[in-house]
Amino acid sequence: MMDLTESIMVEPVNEQGSNTRRILWIMLSGLGIVMTAGAVAGYLAEHQAQGGGPLGAAGMIVMAVFAAIIIGLGYVIWRNGRALKLDGDELTRRERLNRNIMIGCMALGAVMGGGLAATGNLDIADPASGALSIFDDGRMSAAAALLIVFLWAVIIPVVAWFWHTRAIDEQEASAYRDGGYYAAYAFLILAPVWWLLWRGGLLPEPNGVAIFMAFAFIWSAVWFWKKYR
Amino acid sequence: MKNQLKVLRAMRNWSQAELGEHLDVSRQAVNAIETGKYDPSLPLAFKISRLFGQPIEEIFDDGFDGEHHG
Repeated sequence: MMDLTESIMVEPVNEQGSNTRRILWIMLSGLGIVMTAGAVAGYLAEHQAQGGGPLGAAGMIVMAVFAAIIIGLGYVIWRNGRALKLDGDELTRRERLNRNIMIGCMALGAVMGGGLAATGNLDIADPASGALSIFDDGRMSAAAALLIVFLWAVIIPVVAWFWHTRAIDEQEASAYRDGGYYAAYAFLILAPVWWLLWRGGLLPEPNGVAIFMAFAFIWSAVWFWKKYR
Repeated sequence: MKNQLKVLRAMRNWSQAELGEHLDVSRQAVNAIETGKYDPSLPLAFKISRLFGQPIEEIFDDGFDGEHHG
C-alpha cells in the first residue's frame, strides 16, 4: 500500500483530539454540584429538625464551604466549556441533534427530580437516619407514580427510537452496544451473586433499584468511554 | 486499523467536522477512525473510498502483507 504521508507533505487542518477529559470534568462537576446542593438541603433540614433559628458561626462556616465547593465546580464547568469552544469544537448536523436531545433529556430529568422533591415525593436522604433512601420502597402519590411511568414508558421509548435512528452514527451505536454487553454480563453475574450471598446470610436482601442503577451506570460509563476515548 | 484518512482529509483542507458532514457521521467518529480506535463498517468504508476516489485498500491497511496460501 502506498503511504500518502511519504509522498505528500500535508498539514491536517483544524486538528482536534478527543474531548474526553473536558466532557468528563463537566459531567463530574455537574454531578458534584447536584450532590453538594443535596448536602446543603440535608444540613438545613437537620438544622430545622433540631429547632431551627439562626445558623450560628459553625453553620455559617459549613454553608460557606458548601458555597465555595459549588462555585469551584461551576468554575470547572465554565473553564472546560470555554476550552471546548475555543478549540473550535465544531459539530456536525447529527452531533447537534444528538446534543440537543441529551440536553432535553437532562432538563426533563432535572424538572422531574425537582418537581418530585418539591412536592415531597422524593426523599434522597432519609430524614430519620440520614441514610440514602432513594433505594427504598417508600410510598409516593399515585399521580406522581403515573406521571413518571408515562414519561419513562411512553416518552422515553419515542425519544430513544428517534435518537437511534436520526441522531447517532455507527461509531456511537457501536459504543452503545458495547456498553450493553458489559452491563448485561455485570447483571448476569452480580445479581445472582448478591441473591446467593443474601440467602447465605452474608448480605442484606437484594435491592432492585440499586441493581437497576448499577446496570444503567455500567452501560453509560462504557458507552462514554468507548465513544470519547 | 491504520489508515490514510487524516492525510486525505488534509489534502482537501477539511476539518474533522467537515469530513464528518460529508460522511454523515460525527466529528468524534472521524477522530476515532483516524486514530485507529474505531474500524468503520463496510458501507462507511465504501463511502470514504468514493468520497476520496481511492480504493479501500489504499486508504485502510489491515496489516496483511504476506502471500496467499490456498
